[in-house]
Amino acid sequence: MTISAQTFASVLVFALVVHVVLLTCAYLIYVERKMAAYIQDRIGPNRVGFDFGLPILGFLKGCLGLGQSLADGLKFLLKEDYAPDRADKRLFTLAPVAIIIPALIGFAIIPWGGTATIPSFSILGLVHVTGGEVVLAGLNANIGIVYLLSVASLGVYGVTIAGYASNNKYSFIGGMRATAQMVSYEIPLGLSLLAILLVYGTLMPEEIIAHQRQHGWMVFAQPIAAVLFFIAILAEANRAPFDVAEAEQELVGGYHTEYSSMRFALFFLAEYAHMITSSAMFALLFLGGWEPLPFVSVFGGGAVHLGGGVAEVLLAVAVVGLKLAVLFGKAVTLVAFMMLIRWTIPRLRYDQIMMGAWQSVIPLALTVVVVTAAMVQWGRTDTLSLILANGAVFALMMVVMPLMPKYDPNRKIPLYGSRFNPMPGERVVTGPTVALAREDHPVRGSL
Amino acid sequence: MSTLGEVNLSSYLPLMVVVLMAATFAAINIVGTLLIGPKRPGKTKGLTYESGMNPVGTARKRFNVRFYLIAMVFLVFDVEIVFLYPWAATYPNLAMSDPDRVIWFWRILFFLFTTVVAYVYGYRKGVFRFD
Repeated sequence: MTISAQTFASVLVFALVVHVVLLTCAYLIYVERKMAAYIQDRIGPNRVGFDFGLPILGFLKGCLGLGQSLADGLKFLLKEDYAPDRADKRLFTLAPVAIIIPALIGFAIIPWGGTATIPSFSILGLVHVTGGEVVLAGLNANIGIVYLLSVASLGVYGVTIAGYASNNKYSFIGGMRATAQMVSYEIPLGLSLLAILLVYGTLMPEEIIAHQRQHGWMVFAQPIAAVLFFIAILAEANRAPFDVAEAEQELVGGYHTEYSSMRFALFFLAEYAHMITSSAMFALLFLGGWEPLPFVSVFGGGAVHLGGGVAEVLLAVAVVGLKLAVLFGKAVTLVAFMMLIRWTIPRLRYDQIMMGAWQSVIPLALTVVVVTAAMVQWGRTDTLSLILANGAVFALMMVVMPLMPKYDPNRKIPLYGSRFNPMPGERVVTGPTVALAREDHPVRGSL
Repeated sequence: MSTLGEVNLSSYLPLMVVVLMAATFAAINIVGTLLIGPKRPGKTKGLTYESGMNPVGTARKRFNVRFYLIAMVFLVFDVEIVFLYPWAATYPNLAMSDPDRVIWFWRILFFLFTTVVAYVYGYRKGVFRFD
């Protein structure tokens, strides 16, 4: 059997990265709990070590609570997997699968280690790998970045199915909210992506990094698109301040209210995997990918040669590992920033989120796309010109914003049957409606 | 230069492996917890959770039409964006002197303008008001 070098490298890289990401997800939960604890002046998890109750391993007790993630995972596995009687059992089981698959395949397109050339070799004489230049990513297809958008759209299905299958009002409302929010913020995601792809002129991740190596990071050239993209990925991952789908005070757990044990853990894992994927995507598109410094090329553009003597191979693997570490470090830093946002900014109200998407973020993103297209048509796509164009868009926004119709966010909204603010012309009886109570306290008006 | 011209389906082979790996991961987790975890069903336990109250009715109810409107408007915008991606990948690579460049710039601007008309229509109809 003969397989191409790219197929071999892709499967190998994905098999490696999926484990790294899953492990990171487990420890990100620990990091988030620690961060929340320090922000709220607590200590956070600090008890569970790796001693497993054995006296011989007593020196591993404590360990800053690093055993917490392992304990959590085991506990999830040992809990009862329960589905409510009235839930749609098949869809109920399908939903976590539908949500974890897009979360796990999302980062396939990210070129973790740049390009490399590998020589021809065969594994045990059975599988023959033809040598050649490969991109060290889980998938090197010519759709490139469009893959990100398609996978991001798939994530909506799991949420919708979970909300519907539970047959629970909390889940249903949470699922509806999350679906509407995710599809709404997919548009600014796509539009801000379009604005930078117009500058890159390509969909291939490796060429995007090469462009940034030459012209500086895109976050300097397109700051508005970067901010909009970041807002959109926060909303896509259902992270605070956009986590109304699981607003505890209103909806208990949102679409995963009825879930327990490993199925619940899959929802949690999907959220964190989604955060890592979108952060890595942000690092790739705006922060220069695996290049550690802006405006300076550290690793150069050429492909690493994975062949020759043992020392050369080790050196090449070290370079690839460094590139992976830089890209992953950027992604994890962005995830930490998302966590900081979660524990700093209060949750937005649902109507504010939706109006924010449709009345401010989308028009602004459209404007950025049109202005960028004009700059490309004019032939001015260097960083300085694009910064000036962004400044012009910002100034335009500042001029137009006071002219927009104002809404008072805390105004009273008329409701049918409301005692405090009824619909115009509606007469609402105030007072007890139970017959027995009415006899004690006669009410003016009629029922 | 981008390799958008050629279609190489074998480059999608790893994607199949990747999806299979993700699906296997999910399946192993769910089956594992089904096998290991306890099973103690009960009548009260099987009730729908409504903060401890007895459940009232089902959740299979009619919901606000606004979600439907949002889905419709989303379709308009999303399809538009999908059409714009091939343009974004090819148009900046045209030579400055190419006459197609100006033509495609104005065509896409007109295309965006039709979406803006749809947006303004929706705005005037109150689709984007959430109160």
